[in-house]
Amino acid sequence: MSGRVGPVLRMSDDVDAIVAAIEDDNPGQQVTVVDRGAYTRVSGEGELRVTRASIERHLGREFEMRQFEELMSAFAGRIEMTSQEVRWQLGG
Amino acid sequence: MARLPREEWYDIARDVDWDLSYVDYDEVFPEWMSGTGKVPREAWAEWDEPYKVTYPEYVATQREKETGAYSVKAVLRKSRVFDQLDEGWKSVAKQHFGAVALVEDLAAYAELRMARFGLAPAWRNMAVFGALDETRHAQISLYFPHELLGRDPQYDWAHKAYHTSQWTVAAARATFDGMMMNPNVVDVAVQLPFTFETGFTNVQFVALAADALESGDINFANMISSIQTDEARHSQQGGPTLKILVEHDPRRAQWVIDKTFWVSARLFSVLTGPAMDYYTPLAMRKQSFKEFMLEWVAGQFADQLQDYGLKKPWYWDEFLAGLDTWHHGLHLGVWYWRPTVWWNPQGGVSPAERDWLREKYPDWEDRFGPIWDVIIGNINAGQAGLTLPATLPWLCSLCQLPVGTAGSPGNQRYPVRSYPLSYDGRTYHFCSRPCRQIWWEDRDTLHSPTVVDRVLAGEVQPPTVEGLLTWMGLTPEVRGTDAYGYRWARAYPPGDPGPAGDAGPAGDAGPAVTEPSNGGRPVPVNALFAGDFVTQLVTLQDTDTVDQAASRIAAQVVGRRVRSREAGLVVRLGGRVLPGELTVAAAGIGPLDSVDVSWDAGRVGER
Ligand SMILES: [Fe+2]
Ligand SMILES: [Fe+2]
Repeated sequence: MSGRVGPVLRMSDDVDAIVAAIEDDNPGQQVTVVDRGAYTRVSGEGELRVTRASIERHLGREFEMRQFEELMSAFAGRIEMTSQEVRWQLGG
Repeated sequence: MARLPREEWYDIARDVDWDLSYVDYDEVFPEWMSGTGKVPREAWAEWDEPYKVTYPEYVATQREKETGAYSVKAVLRKSRVFDQLDEGWKSVAKQHFGAVALVEDLAAYAELRMARFGLAPAWRNMAVFGALDETRHAQISLYFPHELLGRDPQYDWAHKAYHTSQWTVAAARATFDGMMMNPNVVDVAVQLPFTFETGFTNVQFVALAADALESGDINFANMISSIQTDEARHSQQGGPTLKILVEHDPRRAQWVIDKTFWVSARLFSVLTGPAMDYYTPLAMRKQSFKEFMLEWVAGQFADQLQDYGLKKPWYWDEFLAGLDTWHHGLHLGVWYWRPTVWWNPQGGVSPAERDWLREKYPDWEDRFGPIWDVIIGNINAGQAGLTLPATLPWLCSLCQLPVGTAGSPGNQRYPVRSYPLSYDGRTYHFCSRPCRQIWWEDRDTLHSPTVVDRVLAGEVQPPTVEGLLTWMGLTPEVRGTDAYGYRWARAYPPGDPGPAGDAGPAGDAGPAVTEPSNGGRPVPVNALFAGDFVTQLVTLQDTDTVDQAASRIAAQVVGRRVRSREAGLVVRLGGRVLPGELTVAAAGIGPLDSVDVSWDAGRVGER
């Protein structure tokens, strides 16, 4: 079992900002980013999260958490979504 | 006005339900639809979706997604992007549209069944979004190819395919009916959202988008990855359903996943495998099919199974070994039987492409190289007619793909052979032990006649290749041809590979799936010629001698896919060698038997 979790982002202008937000929100985690053009796989070991506040800071505009769905074409792990953050985890 | 955050009211709203007093619960949620089985009814109250969304949020988000997909399309319409796309790549899109568009529609019904018969209000709520999603997918997958109709009639099959019994469509229909339409909704949730949508669709919709974008098909990449953002949400109906099922009936949970995973893996080997490893132009390939499958299915999905306390399916090693062979055999089959498909398969075995295949799949050359060499030799000798079908491969009674393609030539562990089963007075043939076992356990919901069954039942008239093409709805202008007009084969030096030797007489006798009677009674058999990659339907006469039967079978293969040899032939039935001078009837060969023919070094020159 690899235990890697996290989102797979589809191609868009916002990918870099989201990746930066994820890095901010997971201090101490080794965040891996694999860019395959049409999709970018972001993953961490066991658990990863991203908050609305960090996304807004990196995008420089307002962001509703529901809009994360437009950017994410798949993910690894179990997901949990609130209006303030998204969390992916395994073995929880 | 300040709004309550979603989490403060959502659970109460979505759990709205009521006790029935005017009708019986069992009438509203009958077991055959709701399928609770060993799970106590109260247990479903625990159903909790992890991916929460409200209706206003859903509408706003979907509107933004649609705007994104259609505005890209509108911009590209004015460009010349489509004209510059590679012919091989275009076949990926044509195949996708035909194979997928109306399955999206079918999935809308599957979602609606869960929205009506799911035993938790939260589940029913989420399934409504799922049904709306799938409606969008069907619409967008029909609308995008529609504007290409004027350029190429093969795009017509985006809509037409599922209204026919073309063989890959028949295979997909059998698989998806078994996954979405025939079972109760608990099984549907474990099969469709959990196994299929979290396991497999990612390979076709996310991974393939990487190849699409690289190939310059921005529109297609954008469309499929947009579709998959919906799947990422509504596939989450699988987890909570599975969690409850595992708690009360882990055996059922494991079985339902195991059988769905297997048939899905078989189907994706004909859909996604050739697209990634043969049709996508070499320079544009992001990863091999095997690498994508390891990333998305073997890795990510296997983690998921373990997370729910389940085991890997019992055939896991066979599945992994199949990543090296299945789709190569299926590509060879689709290419050889290319008039039977609505896209133009790219041969994809030029010297450079072959180097790539050998690098990604170290056994490729030993398994498939000899057959491609015969094909290349025929093309370059001006005998392309010998690379076209005169008969039908036998189709597995479960996955409906050619028998032989779950193994490969020269493969000791998983050879080219049928796995037969006698049931109810007839013989059924399967491509593999798992297909046979799954069919046996669940034949009530999974059995569906294959194209071969329908030929044998006399539904296809006349029973020739031409008759079959017409019966499958393939009008002459859409029948597949080699995407590059054999350009890839001409890249080999003249005379290398050399000629394959004489083809058998059927090579020029014209196509005949079943041959006309010469006084005897027809005996259709499932015939394997040693070294070939599939088994075939060949109709013998009971008055033929065994030697004549051997020649009939050899004629479909020798000089076409297997090099000719100075040697006689030997026929085996159930491993037993049959004397050449006996008649088919006297030798005990009966209808639907498996008959093996191979070279017999001891009988040199007798042919
Ligand atoms: Fe869909
Ligand atoms: Fe099969």
